[in-house]
Amino acid sequence: MPSKTTNKKTDQTTGRTARQLLPALLAALMLTATAALAGKHGAVIEEGKSLTFDRKKGNCLACHYIAGAVSPGNIGPALAGMKARYPKKEDLRARIWDVTEFAPEAMMPPFGRHKILSEDEITKITEYIYTL
Amino acid sequence: MKGRYAAAAQPRRLATGSLLAVALFSMVLPAGAGKADRAEFDRLHAEAEQARKKADSIGGQWRDTAKFLKQAKAAADAGELDKAMKLARRAKDEGELGYRQASSQKGNVQIPSYLK
Amino acid sequence: MTGKILAGVLGAACFALAPAMLHADPQSDLEVYQRFFKEKYPDIPFTQFADGAYALNEQMRENWEAIEEFPPYGPFVDSGERLWAAPFANGKGYADCFPDGPAMQHKFPRWDKEQGQVVTLSLALNQCRETHGEKPMKYKGSPLVDLLSYIAYQSRGKKINVVVPKDDPRAMAAYQKGKDFYFTRRGQLNFSCAHCHFKNSGMSLRTDILSTAVGQTTGWPVYRSKWGTAGTLHRRYTGCNKQVRAKPFKRESEQYRNLEYFHTHMSNGLALNGPAARK
Repeated sequence: MPSKTTNKKTDQTTGRTARQLLPALLAALMLTATAALAGKHGAVIEEGKSLTFDRKKGNCLACHYIAGAVSPGNIGPALAGMKARYPKKEDLRARIWDVTEFAPEAMMPPFGRHKILSEDEITKITEYIYTL
Repeated sequence: MKGRYAAAAQPRRLATGSLLAVALFSMVLPAGAGKADRAEFDRLHAEAEQARKKADSIGGQWRDTAKFLKQAKAAADAGELDKAMKLARRAKDEGELGYRQASSQKGNVQIPSYLK
Repeated sequence: MTGKILAGVLGAACFALAPAMLHADPQSDLEVYQRFFKEKYPDIPFTQFADGAYALNEQMRENWEAIEEFPPYGPFVDSGERLWAAPFANGKGYADCFPDGPAMQHKFPRWDKEQGQVVTLSLALNQCRETHGEKPMKYKGSPLVDLLSYIAYQSRGKKINVVVPKDDPRAMAAYQKGKDFYFTRRGQLNFSCAHCHFKNSGMSLRTDILSTAVGQTTGWPVYRSKWGTAGTLHRRYTGCNKQVRAKPFKRESEQYRNLEYFHTHMSNGLALNGPAARK
């Protein structure tokens, strides 16, 4: 009995290995690709974060609260729950680019229109803020 | 699944594309450029200076515009033309944006609605 | 003929009407601005707005009061007193230009009908010097800041009462220019003065608290820790403009004098309390 079972198990294992070799390989490949993508995305978010915090760049903390940041201002709204506030990421980006298009009296500098930040920098900042 | 692969593949394709573009550009650029660059810079610098003056004439000049123009000139004189062009372009942008900012408010200053 | 006359009359009427419609009434402006802050800060006594951001935050106020115990502007006042008393080469002195003595800061800025411009205290001091054959002072540092400090100290308690005379439309135009300046978006950051100092007053810009527009002109010259010295209101204007990444105007330029005219008018009724210490 036990040997049979063992045999069966072995058979099964061998069979599984043979039959699932391709999908497993594919899965492994996929994981690597996903990790690479996530890593790249993660790097963009990290860059976005440092641009957000940099006083000479976004300097967002001058006016906005971000959880965990040191001595943020409170002139603008806290940066939290961004996905709920802007289901579309591009809506958030458009406001960073020039908020006065949406709220003519708003104080926030038009980071894109006045070229305070480059398009690439705005994209990266948007990626980071969208995670908040 | 397929989407992920596509997304992963796209940047690579883009990267290849831009690499190709860069390669092409660097092959083309030195041929026609060189001497023309300084003339191009001088033209851009003059335009930028004019834009700055125009903004200043209505009180719309920005803080660093004149500084960028100075730095651009210094860079050009030092032979760093790419840097010089970048700075001059920035100064020109600022001159134009500052003028637009000031002229759009001439006789049309917005008093906050809560103060009316 | 009649048509022409009618057109002329209509044209003249439009001309007469236009400024009245365009120009705000300083008195009603004053009421709107002061009411805005009284309503925004119902618990703060109106006189306290003269203390700037320190009116708005208890802890900052305590630190500030500690600084005021050993006022850093003291030496400027002392030096200014000596300068005030020192005679010019012709034997005359400031007292000949300002017969009521140094307690006269509350008379500035004022509209000067003969000159057709806003005269600030700094400008008046230099005009006095030039009248008596002295070189005008630079609008930066000593001796001007020292003299202003002494005059401010002597003028403490006097109430701000800027007048925009109704009989000279140029005065109203100067006021209007100052008002336009105040509310105009400026610089790469696109801020107007009002963006920081009306609705957002009391809020934190990182660790700084934004002061209220009303009360900003009572305490000049100000000894600013950031400067490590005492400076004028126009120096502060320069700094504000630079902070929003705009090219500043010259001290005592027409722009800044008109701005001071409007800006000080807003604080009518508040008592002068300069020199003051600020962060």
